[in-house]
Amino acid sequence: MGIIAKNINKSFGTPPVHVLSDISLDIKDGEFISLTGRSGAGKSTLLYVLSSLDDPTSGSVEIADRDITQMSSDELYRFRNQKMGFVFQFHYLIAELTAIQNILLPAMKFNEEVIRRPRAEMLLEQFGLKEKINRYPRQLSGGEQQRLAIARSLVMEPKYLFADEPTGSLDTTNAESVMNILQDCSRKQGMTVIMVTHDPDFSKLADRQIRLADGRIVP
Amino acid sequence: MIFLAMRYLLERKRQTLLTLLGVFFGTTAFVVVSGFFAGMQGYYVQQLVNNGAQVHIEARTDYLTEHGLDRDFFGPSPLHIFWAPAPAGVKGFINVQNPQSWYKRLDADPRVEAYSPTLSAAALFNLGNISVAANLLGCDPNKQAKVTTISDYMMAGKFTDISVGGNRIILGDELMKQLGAGMQQVVMVSVGTHPPVPFRVVGRFYTGSRGLDRQAFGSLPDVQKVNLTPNYINEIGVRLKDYTEADELARSWAKLAPERIESWGDQNQNIKSIFAIQNALRFSMIITVLIVAGFGIYNILNMTVNQKRQDIAILRALGYDTFDIIMLFFSQGLLVGICGTILGLICGYIVCRYLQTISFLQTSPSNPQGHLHIALTLKIYLEAAALALLSTSIASILPARSAGKLTPIEIIRQGG
Repeated sequence: MGIIAKNINKSFGTPPVHVLSDISLDIKDGEFISLTGRSGAGKSTLLYVLSSLDDPTSGSVEIADRDITQMSSDELYRFRNQKMGFVFQFHYLIAELTAIQNILLPAMKFNEEVIRRPRAEMLLEQFGLKEKINRYPRQLSGGEQQRLAIARSLVMEPKYLFADEPTGSLDTTNAESVMNILQDCSRKQGMTVIMVTHDPDFSKLADRQIRLADGRIVP
Repeated sequence: MIFLAMRYLLERKRQTLLTLLGVFFGTTAFVVVSGFFAGMQGYYVQQLVNNGAQVHIEARTDYLTEHGLDRDFFGPSPLHIFWAPAPAGVKGFINVQNPQSWYKRLDADPRVEAYSPTLSAAALFNLGNISVAANLLGCDPNKQAKVTTISDYMMAGKFTDISVGGNRIILGDELMKQLGAGMQQVVMVSVGTHPPVPFRVVGRFYTGSRGLDRQAFGSLPDVQKVNLTPNYINEIGVRLKDYTEADELARSWAKLAPERIESWGDQNQNIKSIFAIQNALRFSMIITVLIVAGFGIYNILNMTVNQKRQDIAILRALGYDTFDIIMLFFSQGLLVGICGTILGLICGYIVCRYLQTISFLQTSPSNPQGHLHIALTLKIYLEAAALALLSTSIASILPARSAGKLTPIEIIRQGG
């Protein structure tokens, strides 16, 4: 179980630039992992490869005993929808939809918006956005937008949460509240959380820190 | 995805409206222009079909060509034959051979509504010092009235008045004016070198077509007598239950007897080719309009795809597949297309109804108000909808496909 990465290589362009070189990882279910390193170290790329958004040049990624690099695209989209949550540095909220519609967007894929609505409302309340339920993203502050984005990633009750610099564009107070949420997900709800950050303080909050330099894991 | 597509469309109302207007105008133009042309063509066809016979069975008159008689005189493979002067004129018969067999055949054919045997002769009409050459048509008025609409155009007298016989004649308005004749006057009619015969004018008709109005009608036996050809007829006019079968029937009858058989279409080839050119012009014009409308949709959708790259990225990350993304953008174009088409069809219909009330053409007995003839057939509306939807579909599927090809990682890596 968990996420097992074997001998992952990733290179771009011709001549190939190696971004990830021979990375093997074993992440247990419920673990809170932080990926750190300088910019250009390949931490974001590793996150995307682990989360199926990007394909490795070679190597394999197994999630819950299934090789996601071999999955058919239908299976993969369903897996992503049901089992994975994503938080990015940018919130990627859809400007034309209200807060609640944005949160329910993953549920709409398989027509589950009615079933998921109580959970969506619960998340809004938990994140202090209860009064903003029908607001549009542009009517929210930066911190509120990011919390909304996290709520969206949690609405399907994923087992795996992938966060790419989730605090990157937030001030300290908002960043801390985001970190609290992520910690909660891991500790209280048993989610596997993998977070890319370059902030050493936040990195320390994880169960395990993985440091990358020049596409390799450094101990 | 339709839900989100609608939100996108409503969010940029002005662009949506503009693209919708493009499709709208294209569709409206198609409906109106097609209705106008089809209506006009239909009107002319109705005139041709109703005013005359739909199939003409005529005495065979082949024109002689320069070498048309070579075989008859000089054996099976004549060479180097020069005529001085070359043979000219017609070959064949001046009358329909064995009309009885035709009557039997036409009576038995369920597709035939009515038929009328006629004899036409080039006659000279004399009244006092005035003499006018015109066509004299002998017919059974009861039969002729079933084959053509001539009896609707009677301005004085009844068409059946000639049926009693006794040298009665009905003159066209034009011919009447030229002769200076009045009702009940006697005009002298002669054919060829035969002696003139007196005829009493018992009717006048006016169709609005100058050629037709220069004709005269008499009863068939009277005209046969004047022409010194008793029992001869040189044409049988046939009216069908469905005039569109005329071409086909003419072809099949032509195999049965030596007579020359022509449909109303054969006799009006020039009009048919004018119709073909009109239709080609109409289609190319409308297709141009719709291509322009299509480009509008294409442009705006392409722009939207670029603006919504971040949305595409997150949708993909949330588990929406390529098909969902294609549908998200395709349905936007299609929604605009469908709305524009429906509005265009409705507006086109209203404009057509309005055009029908305008007095535009010269008035004539068959069209006393001079109204434009606008076709409102379902076919035009289906064609318009099909063309509009086709052009919007093509215009939307291209940007939608390019949106479907975007992978989330490309967009996220570029920072949106």
